[in-house]
Amino acid sequence: MPAPTPAATLAPERLIAGLAQPAPARTAFTEVRYVGVLTRPLILRGELVWLGGARLERDVATPYRETTRIDGDRVRVVRPGQPPQDFDLGRAPELKGLLTGFRALLSGDAALLRGTFTVRASGDVRAWTLQLAPRDAALARRLAGISVDGSGHALRCLRMDQGNGDTSFTLLGALATSALPATPTPAALATLCAGGPLP
Amino acid sequence: MRPRTRGLLLVLWLAALAALGVFVVTGLRVETDLRAFLPPPRTPVQRLLLDQIGKGPGSRLLLLAIRGAPATDLTRLSRGLAAALARDPRFVLVADGDANALATLDPALLPYRYLLTPGFDTQPLDAITLRAALEQRLADLGSPAASLLEPLLPGDPTLETLALARRWAPPRAPALHDGVWLSPRHGALLVAQTRAPGFDPAAQAIALAALRAHFAALPQRGAARLEVSGPGYFSVVVDRAVRRSADRIGALTTLGFVLLLLAAYRSVPSLLLGALPVATGALAGLAALVLIDGGAHGITLAFGFTLLGVAQEYPIRVLSHRSATETATASVRALWPLLRTAIASTAIAYAAFYASGVPGLQQLAVFAVAGVLAAGLATRWLLPPLLPARVRDAADTPGLAWLAARFDALPRPRALPALLLLAALTAIALAPGPFWQNDLGALTPVPPALLARDAALRRALGAPDVRYQLLLQAPTADAVLALSEQVTPALRDLERRGVLGAAELPSRYLPSRGVQRARQARLPDRAALTADLAVAEHGLPFRPGLFAPFIRDVERARALPPLTPAVFERTPPGARLASMLVHQDGRWYGLGALVDVRDPQALAHWAAAQGGRVRLLDLKATSEQWLAAYRTRILEALAGSALLLALAVTLALHGPRRAWHVLAPMTLATLLALATLRVAGIGLTLFHLVALILAAGLGLHYALFFERDSDDRAERRRTLHATLVCVAAALLVFGSLAVSGIPVLRAIGLTVALGVGYHFALSLLMAPHRRLPEPDR
Repeated sequence: MPAPTPAATLAPERLIAGLAQPAPARTAFTEVRYVGVLTRPLILRGELVWLGGARLERDVATPYRETTRIDGDRVRVVRPGQPPQDFDLGRAPELKGLLTGFRALLSGDAALLRGTFTVRASGDVRAWTLQLAPRDAALARRLAGISVDGSGHALRCLRMDQGNGDTSFTLLGALATSALPATPTPAALATLCAGGPLP
Repeated sequence: MRPRTRGLLLVLWLAALAALGVFVVTGLRVETDLRAFLPPPRTPVQRLLLDQIGKGPGSRLLLLAIRGAPATDLTRLSRGLAAALARDPRFVLVADGDANALATLDPALLPYRYLLTPGFDTQPLDAITLRAALEQRLADLGSPAASLLEPLLPGDPTLETLALARRWAPPRAPALHDGVWLSPRHGALLVAQTRAPGFDPAAQAIALAALRAHFAALPQRGAARLEVSGPGYFSVVVDRAVRRSADRIGALTTLGFVLLLLAAYRSVPSLLLGALPVATGALAGLAALVLIDGGAHGITLAFGFTLLGVAQEYPIRVLSHRSATETATASVRALWPLLRTAIASTAIAYAAFYASGVPGLQQLAVFAVAGVLAAGLATRWLLPPLLPARVRDAADTPGLAWLAARFDALPRPRALPALLLLAALTAIALAPGPFWQNDLGALTPVPPALLARDAALRRALGAPDVRYQLLLQAPTADAVLALSEQVTPALRDLERRGVLGAAELPSRYLPSRGVQRARQARLPDRAALTADLAVAEHGLPFRPGLFAPFIRDVERARALPPLTPAVFERTPPGARLASMLVHQDGRWYGLGALVDVRDPQALAHWAAAQGGRVRLLDLKATSEQWLAAYRTRILEALAGSALLLALAVTLALHGPRRAWHVLAPMTLATLLALATLRVAGIGLTLFHLVALILAAGLGLHYALFFERDSDDRAERRRTLHATLVCVAAALLVFGSLAVSGIPVLRAIGLTVALGVGYHFALSLLMAPHRRLPEPDR
């Protein structure tokens, strides 16, 4: 395979197309959430399963067990010993935006991604970043932006900045199993996502 | 009379008609509320029912479906339509899906959530409950629902607002897509409640037009279309269908009538002048309505003009009975005793409707009696001087002599009436099938496809059953709420057993005072709650002081006066509650909406065991029983008027011997018409009764004139001519009603046409006949 030039590699269309995976696709994840009402971040570990189309499953294994199934706009959250909670993605547009982005990336569908976001690519083939900014002004008020870090054909990190100031990092694949300090800082996670060492 | 005097009389008459017309147009208020044709309620339940039928929330609910476009477009259109309807004052309420949970409770009433939810009925609001709730909230913040729940957290860590929203959500809602109800079969679903009563087609038509205009104004509709269903929509459909059918029949019969009279009298002036008495009668009838209370129902007018058609017989008699040598005035003078009897007897028959007590039928009686009298008087005093001086003698009509000879030659077996009577009574008694048609649904002109679509939409939306409601009775509103709380567990059990889909009781929206007080007493005070919260928060990363709004709200809730329906009414769930609580005759009633009733018998059985405080209200059965009970009263009124009629005819004809020749064929023909309906398997309704009376009125006229068995052959032919024109006219009008698509009009048309046939044949055959004289009875 001839070595592509960095500029050609970073054409977002080709980059996104290269991410396409056959469904179902499973990956471990570690999510770190910085929430305004909490004094320290929440750290969750588990598995994400993309079942194809708009169907996604998120299994949290620690620190508690919880399964979320998303089918189209319907979301069901199940915790052991609790009645399932159902809600509609129409009421959580920021989450819907994130899921649309995630689904577009896993299916390598650049058109779907561009339908909701303006896409900007940077970096090189070994460590690239896609900056996704919502096109819709109403959505932009709830979701400031998403940045996706990856290496080659693999996703490493999703960072979501919400309109209310809350931020979450989702570490994927190999990065999901990395050891983290008890209260990692957003800066440290950003470095980790960008391919740097854990401070 | 000199031509100038004639001209003056005509001008004066026309001027009087014009003045009456102006009086009527300025004074008459045309009503459309179909409830005017329901009998006045006798019991509290009937009164409640009448109120519910017209104004109840169920009857004002329109079910809407937007379909024919991709789901995302439907969602957008549904939101747009809901927003437009929410701004329109003609609509009280609109729902297109998942209402924002917080918007449903007035912020000022927010602390009441601790009195409204059953959250702490089994376990108290203590450190253990709080710890469990906080652990769940921490997990919520890590779940996809985090951004939804985070704003609620400081004031409501146990999520009582969500518990309330769930409690107040429709018992059976369709699936949501983007927060909008979307069904794969029906498209985007909405419900809208009109301000106008459901059974007022005029007001409903305005609301429907506004609804369609809002939909048409939505941008980018593409191929999407709006479908509407519900009682209000049906009342408009029925009203339009009846109007269209009546207009078409009216135009057709008017044309036929003109041709018939031209053929019979071959004179345009006679035709035009002959129309004046009935026009006078119609305007006089309307003026009488204006004088009495100013209102006339649309149906009164439609039926009224039909009944008034009888009066066309008076000018026909005048035109037919006049010989070529006679002046019209002299002819009418000779005819008058008979005509007078005919007019009086018709007025007596129609007056029976007044005794019915049904407001719509009373209007009908006023209109028809005033109209018949005015038309009769105009025929006697105004018409004759105006008629042309020279006329053709109707007795010389070609073919009439031949026809008269054939009729004269008909066999008249003496046993015929007795045999017919026996046959009619046997058929009436033995014909299978119920005598009365009690299913009012059989009379609805709503196409079955629309009814099926309504049922499907109703199921998809989980909208309440239109037939069954639960009725709770108690002395006060609060006692109704307490009763509602008391029976709720049993109803849940019935739901689990599949007796019904869901029940929506008043206490779902507001607990009774007692329950609110009990919940209040169980809430911890500020010190206790602060201490419990500190224990519960231990080791969890919530920001210090985060839950201050929660502590404040619980403290407020402890001191609040219990929420009453009156205060609650300003909020959407409170408005829903208000529509379920009815104060009437010093008692309070709670109306429970029922969804998908599968075993009404089991439900009625359960309700009957609740000590008379709970009833299953079957709107269909109750209204049918109510109408059936009412029929008795109408039949009594008819019997009374039949006696009066017999008396009047007997007096007019100077004794029972001649009266017999009039009353016997009329009675027998009515029985034969009844027997024919029975044999055809047609159950009788009030409309059939009205039609039988109308036919009897016509038949009485035939018999009255045939009874006058003249020695003069020409006069006999004139009688036959007049009667044939009358029969042809009646058959024309009612025959065309009989083929109408509207069940009510068909019932009337068929019955009258049938009756007219029998009345003509029997009054002809049973009249005294000089060549075969009847023996004295």
